[in-house]
Amino acid sequence: MILPSLLLVIVVTLWPVAQSFYNSLFDYRLNDPTRSQKMVNANIDLERYVDNYFYINGQLSELEGSAEGEQLESVQSARETIEGYHEELTSDPEINAKMEQIDEMLMNFEPISDSELKYTEVGKDFASDYRSALEDISAEFQTMAESIDNEQLAQSFEQTGSLLSGTSENILESNFIGFANYVKYFKDQRMWQSLWNTFYFTVVSVGFELVLGLGIALLINRAFKGRGIVRASVLIPWAIPTAVAAMMWGFLYDGQTGIVAHYFEKLNIIPSASWLLSTSDGGMFSIIFADVWKTTPYMALLLLAGLQTIPNSLYEASNVDGASRWQQFIKITLPLLKSAILVALLFRTLDAFRVFDLIYVLTGGGPANATESISVYAYITLFSQQNFGAGSVLSVIVFLCVALISFIYVRLIGSELFAGRTK
Amino acid sequence: MKKRAGIGFYIFLVIFVFLVMFPFIWVFLTSIKPVGEIFTSFSWFTKNPTLSSYEAALTNRPLLRYMLNSFVVSSLTTVLAVGCAAFAAYAVTRLPIKGKGLFLGVVLAASMFPQIAIISPIFNLVTSLGLRNSYIGLVIPYITISLPLSIWVLSTFFHKIPFELEESAKLDGASPFQTFRKIIFPLATPGIFTTAILVFIAAWNEYLFALTINSDDIWRTVPVGISMYQSEFSIPWGDISAATVIVTIPIVILVLLFQKRIVSGLTSGSVKE
Repeated sequence: MILPSLLLVIVVTLWPVAQSFYNSLFDYRLNDPTRSQKMVNANIDLERYVDNYFYINGQLSELEGSAEGEQLESVQSARETIEGYHEELTSDPEINAKMEQIDEMLMNFEPISDSELKYTEVGKDFASDYRSALEDISAEFQTMAESIDNEQLAQSFEQTGSLLSGTSENILESNFIGFANYVKYFKDQRMWQSLWNTFYFTVVSVGFELVLGLGIALLINRAFKGRGIVRASVLIPWAIPTAVAAMMWGFLYDGQTGIVAHYFEKLNIIPSASWLLSTSDGGMFSIIFADVWKTTPYMALLLLAGLQTIPNSLYEASNVDGASRWQQFIKITLPLLKSAILVALLFRTLDAFRVFDLIYVLTGGGPANATESISVYAYITLFSQQNFGAGSVLSVIVFLCVALISFIYVRLIGSELFAGRTK
Repeated sequence: MKKRAGIGFYIFLVIFVFLVMFPFIWVFLTSIKPVGEIFTSFSWFTKNPTLSSYEAALTNRPLLRYMLNSFVVSSLTTVLAVGCAAFAAYAVTRLPIKGKGLFLGVVLAASMFPQIAIISPIFNLVTSLGLRNSYIGLVIPYITISLPLSIWVLSTFFHKIPFELEESAKLDGASPFQTFRKIIFPLATPGIFTTAILVFIAAWNEYLFALTINSDDIWRTVPVGISMYQSEFSIPWGDISAATVIVTIPIVILVLLFQKRIVSGLTSGSVKE
């Protein structure tokens, strides 16, 4: 009975994390055709290669017929180089057989849809050598074309050059780069900035939420009329979508029309009404303030539930002994509330650390990346830049941080979390 | 601690509730102002209330379609996730299965995964299955996000049901499945209902997956749709405030109706009794 759920959880959460990690080892970009596949080894697109090679032969022969002197020499040496590499490629009987088959199919205008046939693995060094040789010759031909007066000859040099550079693109080098992406981000100022922003946001907002939440919980932990209304009104901020709340706060903070910005300016809390969303300190203040507004009620509810499990007799007994309110709070309430506080802190810290929608909608990470959290940075890299390899590094970093945080908390809470559930 | 509340306490309460609700109050007051007035004055009440912002909010963008999308996606997610989780939670709390602790550990760990860490493979998966811009494309990731939460909350509820009831059912010759269906399920209905509300709200509020997977305008969900109201050149605050009021109303009703249930669900995950 557990199995289906467990499988689902594994397939859609554990597997993607592993996949993210695997992606992060590649230079993997969706918008670049030579890097849109993850390739551990170098490959050649044989279909295009065979097709191009046929034309290269023809072009070179034509150039040999019309060029003279130095130009003729360089064309001949180019042919030598290319044929050398081509022979090395065809010396592998398997590749040779594939190429012959493709050649035949191309003659008959059959499309090659079998990717086993279309792509073939080649040695890494061979691929990069061949590729750079083709590019060198292509560059040489292009510069030659510029210095030739004969227009027709210049044009055919240019054509051959671009044909060669096109061919070099069919030799796909491996985009497996190991931990190079990690090294890159290790040195990336923006990554550290966003990590710091996330950390700062988490600590400050969760800190405020805990203090305020505890205060509210203590205050409403008594019998009074209208509990239902109070409960509903504190639940509503929690229940509405963060993105909608962020839009709402964007309106309240707006430098021209925002009422909160207006009153804050009047009360001299902030230097000017536009300070909130157009300066880096203001931006950080804005997202923290909105987050505290949205999630303090949640914190208060969790703590209130913890408070209500503390037996009243303890307080009565301490009253008899003459304890002050403060002593009661320190000696009775806090120790008994410890596990509830830790659990609430754990959930809130993890939530705050992966903050995305609030920041993305309210400030977009701005101004000047001052409020960009690591999740926002990862999202921008993944989807705006379509750079899946590098973006995955950032997701893995978020994941590792979250794992570290929960490890620390679970150490603190330990078995209390599981007690009473596994029996 | 359970003292009677005095008048000072009630004054505090009123101020507190007012502060918490202030953004909503202000957005509502803005939504009935004429558009020109929004940009020129900070007065609280308008002399010429109008519904033109509402009209604009509903016609400039397919707001009702967003709400339908959100409703379908959230309902499907709720039914499937709670269904799956009910079996798993029952098995965890009742049946003699080895490795329960490990299972709950994995589930709890999965619920803590940051969504950004799994978004790119999920995006590739959904794209390769051809499920982008569809309901199912969102429901699949949502189920797995909400499963851990549901299993966790439900197992607390199941745990409270006395074991003796089952034992007597067993003595009467009921199979485990019959016990589940006839004894446990009816008793667990409040818990299941509570879990369902939590899952529904979580799915309704989700932003990151909805933003990346359903990027076509007619497939957007409410949070994504609303965040797209602002364009690069102007921010139509009138439309936005009206749209905010419209999409907040269902949530407010839900919360008002089920506030007790929601609180018990939220706290059952964290506090033992």
